[in-house]
Amino acid sequence: MRVQATEKPGPRPGWLILLVALSIVLITVWYRESDTGPLHRVRAGVQATSAPVSAAGEFVTRPVRGLFAWAGDLGVSRSQLEQLREQNRTLRVRVAELEEARLENARLRALVDIPQARELKAVGAHVIGRPTNSWEGVITIDRGSTDGIRAGMPVVGPQGLLGQTVAVSPGSARVRLITDQRSGVAAMVQRTRAEGVVRGSIDGDMSLDFVSVDRIVKKGDVVITSGMGGVYPKGLTIGEVIDVRRPANALYQEIDVEPAGSPARLEEVLVLVGEPPAVVPEGGE
Amino acid sequence: MKQALPAIGAVLVATVLQVGLAPYMAIGGVTPNFILLVVVTLALTTGPTEGAIAGFAGGLLFDLIGTGPVGAMALVLAVTGYLAGLLHEQMFAEGWLLPITVLAIAALSAEVAYGLMLILLGEGGTFWSSFFTKMLPAAVYNTALALLIYPWLARFLRNERPMKTFRRLA
Repeated sequence: MRVQATEKPGPRPGWLILLVALSIVLITVWYRESDTGPLHRVRAGVQATSAPVSAAGEFVTRPVRGLFAWAGDLGVSRSQLEQLREQNRTLRVRVAELEEARLENARLRALVDIPQARELKAVGAHVIGRPTNSWEGVITIDRGSTDGIRAGMPVVGPQGLLGQTVAVSPGSARVRLITDQRSGVAAMVQRTRAEGVVRGSIDGDMSLDFVSVDRIVKKGDVVITSGMGGVYPKGLTIGEVIDVRRPANALYQEIDVEPAGSPARLEEVLVLVGEPPAVVPEGGE
Repeated sequence: MKQALPAIGAVLVATVLQVGLAPYMAIGGVTPNFILLVVVTLALTTGPTEGAIAGFAGGLLFDLIGTGPVGAMALVLAVTGYLAGLLHEQMFAEGWLLPITVLAIAALSAEVAYGLMLILLGEGGTFWSSFFTKMLPAAVYNTALALLIYPWLARFLRNERPMKTFRRLA
């Protein structure tokens, strides 16, 4: 039977085999090469090229997001408002107490001549991009290597630690959030100084791991960075303990942590650039 | 080459939308995958080889604009595009139920395959947690978007037969 000239050729599995092999080679090269390898450089180039598109998306969608946020806030009830007012009053008193303690601490430090553990400079940045897919917790900021940003630097928001820079191009940087499943932060419970590691997860929840069952941790405890590992400075707020479980015969407790700051509505952040960070570009601390 | 231009254009536009629009359409941490929708539609309208090539190219762009391992989504979408393209001959201009069903299955399969790949590479969480929080919701979201996008996109990408039914749908 003669095949007509207009008939399309059938499936060609050779192409599929070739592309699958090429993909496997790419994955292997990606994991084997250093941060200055060709694939990392290509990604940095794509990131630099796509940053204006991210910024345009952020700018164009801002009114719509503002509208949604306003509509969401309409649901705040009178009792919630009263609760927030009460919380505000309590916090004002607490701030005054802490300010007094800070001044006293400064005076005592001067007396015994103890230097500050770490002097940190901060570079302000605008958030110009959100996660481009469901599988990552990464935001893009409008500061890059030309502003002194490098991979591995801590990034904080108004309410506490947000994450660390993982990929930097001249005019932009990507920040892996602490809620991302690839993030890990050396942490401790502020009240009891129980140390562990805060890890993100695929669904955006965080847990405080490796806290021994003999350490007392309660719901409502504040979790801060411990400073171990050298990436994050000590004392940055990570979040609050929302649930503690102590399984029978387990070595460690299961502690759920709620992040202090949500990046969803965040527009500005600070990158801490005080001193060279330990370079942990992909896997967190 | 001239026939490939709409396909190249569609993949590039999908990439731009993935960077500039998809992050702001996220619902509960689930972001639509425009590149996946374009690749499967391309595969259904042109065939398996074209689907595999478009899948590889689109997946590579997806990998490069994100922070995950480069090559993972390229592999997943190349296979997804090829398998969806095998059904190319079964697609008729008059029907939309079959392509949407294929799109739904392809969306779920691609998300599951990508999630499994991340877990195997040590970059993902546990399977069932990922399945219920990412894979399944993403597949539902992408299928809902496919209902809106597929008729127009298929008409744009297919240049062999007129799509009378899509004129009514679109």
